[in-house]
Parts: sequence; structure tokens; C-alpha cells
Amino acid sequence: MDIHNFQKTLFEKGQKSGFNDMEIFYSAKKSTTVKVLEQEIKDYVITEQGGISFRGIYQNKMGYSYTEKLDEKSVAFLIDEAMNNAGIMESDDQEELFAGADFYEKLNRYSKSVANVTPQELIGIAFDMEKAALAADSLVKKVIQCATAKTEGETLIANTKGLHCQSKYTNLSAGIYLMASDGQQTATGGEYDFTWNDVTKINGKEIAEKAAQEAVAKLGADSIMTGNYPIIFRYDTATQLLDSFIGNFSGEAVEKGFSRLQGKLGEKVAGDNITIIDDPLEEDAPGAASFDAEGYPTKRLELIKAGTLRSFLHNRKTGKKAGAESTGHAAKDGYSGVVSVGPHNVYLQPGGASFGDLIEKIDNGILIVELQGTNAGINAISGDFSLSAIGFIIENGRLGRPINQITVSGNFYELLNNIEDIADDLQIKSTVSSPSIKVKSLTVAGK
Amino acid sequence: MLSQGVIEKVLNAAGETGGDFAEIFVEDKTSSSLTMIGGILEKAVSGRDFGVGIRIFKGCFSVYAYTNDASEANLIKVAQSAAQAMNGQRQNSIIDLRKNIIKNVHEIKIMPNSISKKQKITWMRRAHEGAMGYDPVITQTNISFSDYVQNVLIANTEGTYVEDIRSRNRLGISAMATAASEKETGFVGPGYFGGLEYMEQLDIEAYAREAARSAKTIINAGFAPSGKFPVIINNGFGGVLFHEACGHGLEATSVAYKTSVFAEKLGQLVASPLVTAYDDGTIPNVWGSLNIDDEGMPTKRNLLIENGVLKGYLIDKLGSRKMSMAPTGSGRRESYRYAPTSRMNNTYIAAGESTPEEIIQSTEFGIFAKYMGGGSVNTATGDYNFNVREGYMIRQGKIAEAIKGATLIGNGMSTLQKIDRVGNNLKHEIGMCGASSGTVPVTVGQPMVRISELTVGGRKEE
Repeated sequence: MDIHNFQKTLFEKGQKSGFNDMEIFYSAKKSTTVKVLEQEIKDYVITEQGGISFRGIYQNKMGYSYTEKLDEKSVAFLIDEAMNNAGIMESDDQEELFAGADFYEKLNRYSKSVANVTPQELIGIAFDMEKAALAADSLVKKVIQCATAKTEGETLIANTKGLHCQSKYTNLSAGIYLMASDGQQTATGGEYDFTWNDVTKINGKEIAEKAAQEAVAKLGADSIMTGNYPIIFRYDTATQLLDSFIGNFSGEAVEKGFSRLQGKLGEKVAGDNITIIDDPLEEDAPGAASFDAEGYPTKRLELIKAGTLRSFLHNRKTGKKAGAESTGHAAKDGYSGVVSVGPHNVYLQPGGASFGDLIEKIDNGILIVELQGTNAGINAISGDFSLSAIGFIIENGRLGRPINQITVSGNFYELLNNIEDIADDLQIKSTVSSPSIKVKSLTVAGK
Repeated sequence: MLSQGVIEKVLNAAGETGGDFAEIFVEDKTSSSLTMIGGILEKAVSGRDFGVGIRIFKGCFSVYAYTNDASEANLIKVAQSAAQAMNGQRQNSIIDLRKNIIKNVHEIKIMPNSISKKQKITWMRRAHEGAMGYDPVITQTNISFSDYVQNVLIANTEGTYVEDIRSRNRLGISAMATAASEKETGFVGPGYFGGLEYMEQLDIEAYAREAARSAKTIINAGFAPSGKFPVIINNGFGGVLFHEACGHGLEATSVAYKTSVFAEKLGQLVASPLVTAYDDGTIPNVWGSLNIDDEGMPTKRNLLIENGVLKGYLIDKLGSRKMSMAPTGSGRRESYRYAPTSRMNNTYIAAGESTPEEIIQSTEFGIFAKYMGGGSVNTATGDYNFNVREGYMIRQGKIAEAIKGATLIGNGMSTLQKIDRVGNNLKHEIGMCGASSGTVPVTVGQPMVRISELTVGGRKEE
């Protein structure tokens, strides 16, 4: 059944079953992924996936259900399950569907040239990437993963109140993960890049060389004496840290008491040099969006300005509860999720110093280039973290030997008040990003 | 789910360009998940996942394709487009599918959809009340309950043709303690591979009190010290140490491509002679068990390490081709959206001789990790990390003050060699493991073990 007929049948039957307002969230995508190893295609993955999430107001409560099968039987399944789920809801929240806005920004996330990339071209990029990685340095012994992918997808949100939001996107990505060895020690390095609409942006050779340099530079690492050191988190590890704590900005987490930022609106929560922004309208960002999962228009938002907490992220329900408007941050984990709250393109505003400037100012410190265990070694609510890390010694303003088998620990909220320098090297490659930052002092466990 | 005629046509279409193996995986899964925050049911969602995965091999080259559209015409189209990735001539082969009725050794007595959502909510409410009633320091709870029934059909050109029904359910209890502006949580998450008979007999209040007790302990705990110490790891979820430090490195996914530190080490001493370890997918009704793996092969009890000597790997079909070794019933995937790869089921270190009391008494100074959080490993280097949720100092052979915020790091093989005590109290705990074929249920298990020296990353020098 095609999606438009499905929607029509679903809404008609839903109304007869006693639903007031109803909404569908439909998403579908097709993708091709090529994985290469030792100049042979190792894996080739073709996917086509689509599904529909249904929600509707039944006896004043919102009920949810979803299916990946668009047939008659699923119409009944969606209605029955949503009705059952509405029937057991206990929260008093009056959830309403959104009728749509007059204006949505136009974002260019679709390009024919990306859509037309052939499997042969994907294979070509992957082959070149692997070759370049092995040629980059004789210490690169093995490529562990080398993949390119092309995706084409669409999202549609439509409801009985008149909302009709539709968007299409394309995506091309390339990534490599490899292993270097000097006979004594093994180290790994990885790099990836992506684009919505510009095929020429993907440079396999550059990606490969970065990954190779990274792995080779880590060889010969040793631990360091346990103690307190000034720390630079390179842009990628700074990004990992910020990303782990972004949930505290969610209006939903705040309302339920799961955020340490609860009750701190308008207060100083970070140093004067900290400004954190969510800008969904930045076209090249992976999280770029002109409407959120409720069809609400998005806009640029300051979360923290010069250290002061200015706003949380809200959807329509959490906004209303907090006596504020939606900030356009309704999020949905595909069609199988329910509407919650999430970031589009959050970043820490870059500073004026170069990455080299940050290093020059340190006499005896550490540069962190890899953090592991962020899935477990971070207490997202208290802010405490203790993470396995790989990095380099900084001595007299210069990078020295690599370090491994250390942990770095501290508290994220204290850290926000102890950032001495912010570099100008912001790279937006995920929904949360940070430039490199220099922290006054953190505890490092080693020898 | 699909007729034998359609399956044969699809497998035929998949083989038209010379693939030497083709497989079809059909999944129809209904699931329900409920979330209760502060005693109020806030979220309820249920749905149906349905899709078909088609895989083709030619030697060690594999193509995987999946779709939600299971019409005959579309499946043949998808199989043909996947086959286009191979360029060769059809080889003469006859597909002889013989349906194999497997015996379900993991009984499902009460199917999840035969119990009302209202009843499920009463279980969640008991968890909420049990946690809140434990102590005034507990200020918030987050209770989740999820269940699913996954029907799978797996058929391939080697003649495999099997169907299986898998049902799992899990209660998650998170209790939050608050003191001044500090917030800490304790978590327990009992779950079962079977039906809802599990929930009916579960001592929900005892689990809830344990989550609350842990939260209260952590909020009153000081920071862990930093440095190198003897570390005692409690039984049960402590097995995540073996899972990360060693288990992932034994999977064909990295062994076959020689990107594992354990590659080419069969027969060698890789651990302390006190260590014997298994991965066993057959344990009845245990979270990580399966009748058959996601490639249609019966699961097995696989000996990995015996008295410190490496005895075996975990091998899927593709890894088996690359390694020229038989598959071990370890091919797993989250859903039809993933091609299967070698994964763990229920991995554990076998019980040893020491009693927990003597292990603690014989440790002058060190760390006792009572509850572990998760962790991760770089299989190429063997470096792993994992997090201690609830820990204690050991002073003069006794468990002393509670500590929080410790991360343990090390290298898999050297840690296994430093195990100098293995307890007699083996216990399994459940978890979810994410890797290239998605997130799958696993259990980890171990008796109490002591590692003579490990790097502890805390925030305090001692």
C-alpha cells in the first residue's frame, strides 16, 4: 500500500474508533554500503527500509504505535495498540498535535549528484582510501575497516490538524579505521567524513592519511606518573565529553529531576568564555533540520551565553510545562520511538587561539586524543567522569612522546568553569561538536 | 512467514551470478515498552518490526541486502540486485531445503501479549514503591519494562530451513539518591529468555531495595584513589571484565582478519592457569541463550580457555571460511537490518577453589569492585576499560569505606595473566552488547576474582 493511501485509510478508521486528532510520522531510506579489505570488496550492503509511527488522542491521552508493514492488517494493529497504550497513560500532560507553522526555512540536504553516485564510485573511493592508508606510512600494517556509503531518504509528518512537513535528504560518507605496528606495540587510528550535497567534499586520500598519521603517532606509548596535570582535549575528545552531558539540557530531563541543571536557568553555570549554541539551520551540519519531530519550525538557540544558562531544549509538551515555548527540539528515534527531546547541532563556540597556541602555553601537561569507555565511565547526571585515554606529553610548549594506559577524571560542571583556552578548530561532524579546549588541571592515573 | 516456494525462488535469484552460498532471514517481531517515572506511567509504545535479510557469499566476499517489502516480486528484485555485486556465472547447484523442526529448550509459558498492560504496570509500581520506600535519600525512580516476541525463519542453500520463536522480558529499576546538588543512581535490571512467568515469581521488592541501597551507598561514597592496586572483582556482572578484556578479542570478526591480539594463539598460555572460560548459548532460559543462532545453527557450549590455555574462538559462517575452522553457533544479529557476525552469548569464567572470604582476607590493601558498569575494548591492541559503579577500599583484609567514580583499565592478556585468585561463587548477570551486528542480549558471569595489580583511575591520590 502506498503511504498516502495508508494514511487516508488509517485516519478514517482511527476516527471511527474514537480517536480525535491523529498523526503519522513516516520515514524511509535506501542505502548502499561498500566495505573493502586488502583491495577486495569484503562486504556490500544494500538496504531499503521504511516504517510508520502513529500517534493519536484517545480519551484525552496520547497513544503511540508503529509498524514496518504497510498493509490492511497493520492499520488495525496501529489503532488497537495506540488505543491500548493511550488507555494506560497516567501522566496528566495534555499533549496536543501541532497544526503547522506558516514558514519553514529551506535547507539543502538533497543533491542529485549524491543520489547518482554509483556503487562503482563508492568502491573506487574505498579502494583509493585503503591504498592511500597503506602508502602513507610503512608502519601502517593493516586496515581494519574501510567503508563508503550512500543514503537517500525521506521523512513525512502529517496530521489531522493540517500539518504536512516533508523533507528529502542524501548522504555520502567515507571512513577508515586502521592499525599500525612497530613490532613491539600496536596502535589504531580512524577518520571519517560525510556530506549531504557535495560529492567533491569527500576526499578518501585525506581521510586515509589522517587516520594513518594518528595511528603511527601513537606508537611507542607508555604510561605516565599518576598526578594532576593541565589537559588539552583535542576537538574530537572535547566533542565526546560535551556530547555525554548534553542530556542535562533536555527540558524533559530537567522536569523529571534527571538533570543537574534543574533550577539553574539564568544562573552562572560555566566560565565567562563558554557559549553553547544549537543551530539547526547550519546547512552542512549532520543534524540540520528545518522542522523537528513534531513538525515545529527550528531556529538558532543559545543554551549558555558567556557562562549563564539561558535555555533548555524543549518540545511542545516540555515547553508548556516549563511555561515556555517549544524551542523546536522534539526528537524521535526513528518511527519506533516516541516524541522526546534532543539536540540538532549543538556546539561550543570556538575561541580565537589556534590549536598550536594552546600547546605552546603548557610547560608540563597532556594532550588527550582518544577517550574510551564513555558508555560507562561517565555519570551523566552528577557530571563525574573517569575515562581511559590515549594522548601525548606536552613539555615546554611542545608535543612529546605518546601516552597510553592512563585515565583522566574530573567533573564536567567543574570543568566548564575551568576552561582556560578554547581553540578555533571546530569541526561539525555530529549533532554535538566542540573545538579543542584547555583545562587548568585534572587527575590522571597511570604508573 | 514465507512459503518454501518463495524462499527457493529468492535463493535461486541470489545465486544467479555465481555466489556459492545464499541465505534468507525473515523476522517478524512485536514488542512493547513501558516507562514509569516517579511512579507515573509516562511512555508506552508498541510496534511491529518486519523485514527480510538476504545474504550471498562468494568465497570470503559477502553481500547483504534487506527490505521491509516481503512481496515475492520485491524479494526477487532485491536478491537480484544483491547478486549484481558478484560477477560470475551461475554454478550448478540444487537447493534441497528440508525443514528442520527444532526443539525449544527455552520454554515460554506465558506469552507477553497474553497479559494486560495494566498487570505489567502493577509490577512496575511495586518496583517504584520498593525503591522509594527504602530511604528518604531516594528522590526519584525510573522504571522500565519491555518485552518482545521475535519470530525468525532462516533458510540457506546448504539446506538449512528452520524457524524459531524467541521471547524476552526485562524490568529496569533505576533509583536516584539526592544530597545537596549531587545526584547518583543505582540500577538493577533483571531479565529472562522465556515468557512472563519470570515476572510473576520475581522478588521485585528485593531488586528495588538493592537499586536504592546502591544509590544511597554511592551518594555517600568518596572518590576512588588513582594508581595501581590489587583489585577484587565481585561475582556476577564482574564478568564484564572477561567479556571486554578477552571475549571480544576471541570473536572471528577480529581473529579472522588478524586484528585481534588473540589471533594465532591457539594452544598458547594466554591467561593465569586458574582461568577456565566458556561461552555457552545453551543454558536454559538464560538471557543470552538461543535455540539456534541467527545463521540457523544450534548454539553450543564453547570452551574458550582451559587452565589458562587458549582452546577456541567464537566463529560465524563467514569467519569460518576465512579461518578454515568450523562455525561455533555464534552468528548473531540484532535484527534483519544487520548481517550476522560472531558474537558472545553467555560468557563466563568457571568457578575456582577460593572462598570469597579468603580472597578478601588475603588482600592487605586494594579495591573491591562490587558492581561494575559497562566497558569497551580495542580488540586490535587489547586495551580495555570498565567502570566501577559501586566499590570499596580494602584495608587490612577487610572491606572498608565505599568509593565511587573508578575506572579500571588494562590490557586483556596481561590482566588475564594477573588473576591470582578465583572464587567458588560463579554467578551470571545480564546485559546488552553493541557491536557491528547491532545490540544483542548477552550474559556475563564469573566467580569473585582477584587481579594482582590493575590501574585504577579515580580522582584522589593515595
